Amino acid sequence: MGKKKITPYAVISMILLVLVALVFIFPFYRIMTGAFNDPTNVWKAELFPSKLTMQNFVRLFKQPAWKWLYNSVFIALVSMILVCGTASLAGYALAKKRFFGQKIVFTLFICAMALPKQVVLVPLVRIMSTFGIYDNVWAVILPTVGWPFGVFLMKQFSETIPTEMLEAARIDGAGELRTFWSVVFPVVKPGVGALSIFTFINTWNDYFLQLVMLTSTENLTIALGIARLQSADVIEYGPLIAGAALAAIPIVTIFICFQKYFTQGITMGAVKG
Amino acid sequence: MADGAAVWRPVARCVVFCSPCMKGCSRGRYPYGLCSMADLSLRNIKKIYDKNVTAVHEFNLEIADKEFIVLVGPSGCGKSTTLRMIAGLEDISEGDLLIGGKRVNDVEPKDRDIAMVFQSYALYPHMTVYENMAFSLKLRHVSKDEIDKKVRDAAAILGITEYLERKPKALSGGQRQRVAIGRAIVREPQVFLMDEPLSNLDAKLRNQMRAEIIKLRQRIDTTFIYVTHDQTEAMTLGDRIVIMRDGYIMQIGTPQEVFDRPANIFVAGFIGSPQMNLFNARLEKIGEGYQVSCAGATIALSDRIQARLTEKQVGERDIILGVRPEHVLLKSEKSSYTISATVDVSEMMGSEVYLHVTAAGKDAVLRIPTTELTEEQRGGFSYGTEIHFTFRSDLLHLFDPQTEKSLLL
Repeated sequence: MGKKKITPYAVISMILLVLVALVFIFPFYRIMTGAFNDPTNVWKAELFPSKLTMQNFVRLFKQPAWKWLYNSVFIALVSMILVCGTASLAGYALAKKRFFGQKIVFTLFICAMALPKQVVLVPLVRIMSTFGIYDNVWAVILPTVGWPFGVFLMKQFSETIPTEMLEAARIDGAGELRTFWSVVFPVVKPGVGALSIFTFINTWNDYFLQLVMLTSTENLTIALGIARLQSADVIEYGPLIAGAALAAIPIVTIFICFQKYFTQGITMGAVKG
Repeated sequence: MADGAAVWRPVARCVVFCSPCMKGCSRGRYPYGLCSMADLSLRNIKKIYDKNVTAVHEFNLEIADKEFIVLVGPSGCGKSTTLRMIAGLEDISEGDLLIGGKRVNDVEPKDRDIAMVFQSYALYPHMTVYENMAFSLKLRHVSKDEIDKKVRDAAAILGITEYLERKPKALSGGQRQRVAIGRAIVREPQVFLMDEPLSNLDAKLRNQMRAEIIKLRQRIDTTFIYVTHDQTEAMTLGDRIVIMRDGYIMQIGTPQEVFDRPANIFVAGFIGSPQMNLFNARLEKIGEGYQVSCAGATIALSDRIQARLTEKQVGERDIILGVRPEHVLLKSEKSSYTISATVDVSEMMGSEVYLHVTAAGKDAVLRIPTTELTEEQRGGFSYGTEIHFTFRSDLLHLFDPQTEKSLLL
C-alpha cells in the first residue's frame, strides 16, 4: 500500500522538469561561480572555477557597495511594510465595507493596474521634486505605496472573511482598528505573506524607477551601482558579477524561505478553498 | 376565554436607571442606564432597503424580562433582519427599539448589553476556544483571573472544558456551536440573541442541542430572542412565538395558542406537522345554530365554535375549513356526516399511520393512531382504497377565504 507505480509518463515528466530546472538554475550558478572566480577567468567557459578568490568582491567594495546594498534592502523592506499595511487596510475596506463610490474606487485601482509605469513617470518625478525628495530613497519608496495589485490581492483575500465573524467582533466590543488587527489581519495573513514577497521582489527589481529617481553615487541601489560600473570605458566584469551575486542573495533567500506564500499568492482563487 | 387558555401579558417593567454615569449600579458595565431588567419594546419598527424594498413592516412587540421569544417564519420573512436590528447590526429605518425602557436605535451593538450566536458560529479561526470565549472580556478590560473563571465556568456548563486549547477547526459542528454559545454566555448579557443556531447541525445533533438550549435557559437567567425557520424548534423553545411572513407579523402567542387558535391560514399551515388540511366548505345557518357543509358531508360544530360565530354574527358564507391531521376520525361506513377519500400513500409509523389521501378534490393527510385501526387496516392501506372520515367538531378551524383570517378569533 502506498507504493506509487512508476509510469513512463512520470519518468518523462520528471526528466523534462529537471531539464527546465537546470536551464533556470544555470545563470544563477554562473553568477555565483563567476563571482568567486579569478577576474581574468570570469567569462571562461568552465563549469567549475579553477581557482576560488575574493578579488572580485574586494574590487567591488572599493565602491560604496555596502551603502548600495543597504539602500536596496531599506527601499525593499520599507516599501514592503508600507504596501502591506496600506493594501491590507484598503483591500479589507473595499471587500467588506459599504461606502459611497466604492465601485468607482475599485475600478480606478483596476485601471491603475493596467497603466504602464512609464506613463506616470514624468508627473511622478515632478511631484517628488516638489516634495524635495528627488534623489532620495523615499522617492522610490513612496510611489510604490498603494500598489494597485497589492490592493487587488488583499481585496480578494478579504472577500473570504465571513461577514458574520466581523459582526461577532463588533458585538464583542471591538472597534474598527481592533477588528482589523485582531480578527481580519490574522485571517488574511497568508495574503499579506504573499504580498510581502511580491512587493519585496518587485521593489528590488524595479530598476527603471530607481534609475530615474536616484542619481548621487551614495544614494544608488545595488542594481544601479552595478550598472554604474559599466559606464566607464573599460567594463570590469569581475566586480560586476560579484555585485550581481550580492544582489541576488537576499532575493533568493527570501524566495526560498517564503516560497509557500509566494505560490499561494499566485494560485489564489484558482481552487475553491 | 371560554377554554381557560392563559393570556400572556408582559410583566411590569422594573427598570433601575443609573444615569448619568454607571456609578452605583449592580452590574455597572454599561452606559445608557441599561443596568436593569432586560425588557424590550419594538415599536413600529420598519426596515427599508434602498428606499423601496421593505423587509420589515410595522413590527410591534413587547418582550418581558427573562422571556424566551422565538421569531419563526419561512426564508425572507424578515425574522433575521428584525434580530439584526435588535443587535444593532442593521439600522432601523423607522420606529423605536427600547431596551430597559431606553431608546437604543443609535446605540452601538457593544453598548446594548447583548450577545449573539450566529448560524455559522462565526468563531475566530486563529484563536483557541479559550481565546474565542475570552475575547469580549479582554476588550472590556476584565481582569485575567476573572476572565479565566468566567471562561472555565461557561466551558463547564457547556461541557467543552477539554477543548479549551483547541482551535475551532479541530472541533465538530456541535462543539463549535457550544463554543459560540459559550462566547455569548461569558458576557452575561441582558439579552441573548440566537440566529438559527442549530441550522448547520444534522438532525440528531439538532435535537440534542435543542434540549441543551432548554437546559441552558434554565441555568442562565436572561432574555432570549431566537430566530428559526423550524416550527418544532419554535414550539419547543419559546415562551411565545412570533410568526412572520413577508415582513409582517402573522401572529404572536404561546406555542399552544398558535397551535390551537391560528389567527390565519398561513399560521395554520406553518405550525403543526404534518400541516393542517384545508378544505373549501360552506358555513350554513340552521335556526340559531351553524353547521358546515363540505364535499357533500354535513359537519356539526361544537358549542364553543357555535357561540363564537353567533357572537360575531357571522352569516352564511363560503369558508376554508381547517382540520389538523390528528383531529380526523376514521369511520367504517359512509354516511351524510362523512367525507370520502381515496388513499394515495400510507405511511406506518408504528404508533400511528399517516394516510395521504385525495379528499374533496384536494390532497390531505390523516394521522390515525394504530389503536383505532382494524387488524386488516394495520396491515396497510393499498393505493386507491376508499376510506370515510369525519372531524372532531370541537377542533375545527374556520377561515375567511378572502382575508384568510380566522372567523373564530
